Amino acid sequence: MKHVLQIVILGALDAIAIWVGTSLVVQAHYLMAVLLLIGAAGINYVYLSKRAYPMRYLLPGLIFLFSMVVYPIGYSFYISFTNLSTGHLLNKPQAIEQITGRFYTPSDAPSFSYEAFEDDTGDIALVLYGDDETLLYYQGVLTQIDPSDDRLVDEDGDGKPDRFLSYKVMTLPEIIKGLPTIEGLRIPYDEGTIRLDSLREFKLSSRRYSYNPATDMMRDLQTGTVYPNLEGFYTSDDGDELYPGFKIWMGLKNYLELILNPLVSGPFARVFGWTVIFAGLSVLTTFALGLFLAILLNDPYLKLRRFYRVLVIVPYALPAFISILIWHGLLTNMGLFNHVLLQLFHFSIPWLENAFWAKVSIILVNLWLGYPYMMIVSLGALQSIPGELYEAARVDGATWWQRFSKITLPLLLMPLAPLLIGSFAFNFNNFTLIWLLTEGGPPINARTVAQSTDILLSYAYRLAFQGARGNQFALAAAVSVVIFFIVATISAINFRLTGALEDLSKNV
Amino acid sequence: MKRTVVLIVALLMVTSLFLTVSASEAGKLVIWADETRAPILQEVGTAFQDTYGVPVEVQEIGFGDIRGQLATAAPAGEGPDIIIGAHDWLGELIQNGLIEPIVLPEAVKKEFDPVAIDAFSWGGQLYGLPYATECVALIYNKDLVPEVPATFEDLLTTAKGLTDQEAGEYGFLIQEPDPFHTFALFSAGGGYIFGNNPDGTLNPCDIGLDNAGAIAGATLLDQMVKDGIEVAGADYGMVTGLFNTGKLAMMIGGPWTLPDAQKGGINYGVAPIPAINGNAPKVFVGVQGFMVSAFSENKVLANLFIKDFLVNNDVMMKLYTAGGRPPAYLPTLQQVSGNADIQGFAASAANGYPMPKIPEMGSVWSAWSDALQLIVSQQAEPATVMGDAVGQIKALLKCE
Repeated sequence: MKHVLQIVILGALDAIAIWVGTSLVVQAHYLMAVLLLIGAAGINYVYLSKRAYPMRYLLPGLIFLFSMVVYPIGYSFYISFTNLSTGHLLNKPQAIEQITGRFYTPSDAPSFSYEAFEDDTGDIALVLYGDDETLLYYQGVLTQIDPSDDRLVDEDGDGKPDRFLSYKVMTLPEIIKGLPTIEGLRIPYDEGTIRLDSLREFKLSSRRYSYNPATDMMRDLQTGTVYPNLEGFYTSDDGDELYPGFKIWMGLKNYLELILNPLVSGPFARVFGWTVIFAGLSVLTTFALGLFLAILLNDPYLKLRRFYRVLVIVPYALPAFISILIWHGLLTNMGLFNHVLLQLFHFSIPWLENAFWAKVSIILVNLWLGYPYMMIVSLGALQSIPGELYEAARVDGATWWQRFSKITLPLLLMPLAPLLIGSFAFNFNNFTLIWLLTEGGPPINARTVAQSTDILLSYAYRLAFQGARGNQFALAAAVSVVIFFIVATISAINFRLTGALEDLSKNV
Repeated sequence: MKRTVVLIVALLMVTSLFLTVSASEAGKLVIWADETRAPILQEVGTAFQDTYGVPVEVQEIGFGDIRGQLATAAPAGEGPDIIIGAHDWLGELIQNGLIEPIVLPEAVKKEFDPVAIDAFSWGGQLYGLPYATECVALIYNKDLVPEVPATFEDLLTTAKGLTDQEAGEYGFLIQEPDPFHTFALFSAGGGYIFGNNPDGTLNPCDIGLDNAGAIAGATLLDQMVKDGIEVAGADYGMVTGLFNTGKLAMMIGGPWTLPDAQKGGINYGVAPIPAINGNAPKVFVGVQGFMVSAFSENKVLANLFIKDFLVNNDVMMKLYTAGGRPPAYLPTLQQVSGNADIQGFAASAANGYPMPKIPEMGSVWSAWSDALQLIVSQQAEPATVMGDAVGQIKALLKCE
């Protein structure tokens, strides 16, 4: 039974891999397709071979680690070395294809109504009727043709040919089916090109730009203006840019911008400072309240203990997304809190409008969101402290505070330290809270992009999407990479410290 | 082992039968539209399919997400043929190479509001078929304010008389105040966003948000706060909530606020914002329309769909009924011109200013709204803060 299930799942997985692989090949993403197939083969090997048995348990985790952590980090690294931003979204071949694919059709350009003919093999021939000439496009060659040419056969006598040699005339639905071919036709004629302009008409147009790969320049065929490649835009000497631009390699330019552009680097230290304070205070306050409640609820003499425990966990059960928005509603200038304050005491507090109070609001709301987690883990850890220690302390005449600070806290910190570090790292990047509660605001002043409660991540978001012109993905990726290194360093130091703590406990 | 392999192969073949290769394909139109317009377009699509035998698939995507998703999907060959969108996306979409001009005969163009056609034009070419224009206007509760104030100064006097913050009653509120809703104050005295180059295009380095007229507007907003009329933190939900329960007499709002006001049973009216200091204020005009993806493999079909199946009174009327915005198609606009709301918004739009469609606008929105927030929370002097904002925009755009 177990075996059958395994095969069914593996079979389904392979089917999906082949399906995705085929569409990747269809879209010419060959590298991705090859990687996918190698991956799929690897999975099959692991789950069918006895020798790779231990890998069966590691592989799912490794796959997720790669696709959710390693790949995004690698991709951010890559982006941060390019100029990916508004105007530079496509790759160079795509941009060149678009620009050189542009046609110029004067409003008085000759137009041709047409009839299309198709043979059994799907080859298409065209008869183009201009104002004073009739043209035949057959097997890649354009020639003049007399409408009374005997290759054109009018079978039903309506004055329009129904056959050309063995080619049968196409009806409208057939033409629409054949549009991908017909639309793609570029028939040289005179100086220009005849191409499909609308469903019922061909028009004589001329190419607008030509590309010279040797010099990497675009040339306007009408005016003769040349557009050399200037940092991802083909730009004329007058500063005229041809759209679209394309993605190019920028090296360290984005990182230099972070350091050298005062508009970006100026607020960086300030934002970094608040990020650390915010994450630190969040851990401290939630842990303090959580621990306090845990000790309270751990007291066997407390009545209705279970009821309180359930009640206190409620904030944890509500999705943060919803409760933050509710808090935002309560805290706005015209919200419930100020309404009550105004009614009772005739004053109000600028919870979200003033930089200091906005920071207080953020810490308070995060306390509400975070303490139940700290309480749960503390409750668990409290159970594991042996009661004899407290009895012994009591016999020795230790006060409540001494018992707490000498027994409870040290013994609790041992198992909880990694969780506190995790909480710090989580809050360091707690974009959801900041963005939903204050959007980083209020503004510091109108001179800088950063706002007073921005953490590094929301600052990166601001740079990316509210920056100079459109979206600055590359610059934001550079900030993300910097954040990655900061968090990695903090984590490494913290783990080193907790490692030291563990060594200490071994010696006790 | 051998049996296993046979089994896997068999399963593979069966499963593959149910999965078809999906990629952006020729001979099928894919349209991205928001939830309000998607059902209407699906109907039109069915008619198109009946005529030409080409299937039309309408995919529902939130209006605000269409622009971003197009940027990722289209170059990867996963994008649509036609999208719905706003005219102020144009600059970004064109610079990113995501949309192509549409082909529309001159005679057909003349059937549309020239402002809307102009809004969707770039470099002398038309990039979208407009279907609706929208702008803000003064929306007032007729039970509290029977007559539209003749001047903005009268409006403020009336508003002051109706405001009692402790009782939760307000006379006049501007949302957030954000740039979009506040532009009228700035434009009345001659404030502007971008000046024009000699060739008629916008010059992003000529910013008129700190000239005398703009500062007069910022000072007026500051005074409104000092007089206790405008308050900080008046967001969309708050302002419309107050209006819909009869606790706010007047607001600056767009057509999107009306359905809820109707549900609240408010006896409201729509009028242009009264003259400020004798000058008629300009409001931002936004235009919505259909655009063709540059990565479409069915450009001729897409243009055919737009020209022959969307440009008619029937479809335009349905789009109007669903969205409630003044139609950009003149025959339809004519037909609904008896509607008092439409008259109010049309009068407001008559003195409108199409939102700038160059991507540089991003920096303007953020710096300007920072300045407005600082004014409303009384943390900065209007003249200083507007100067700071313009300085920031110029620095961001590397103007100096």
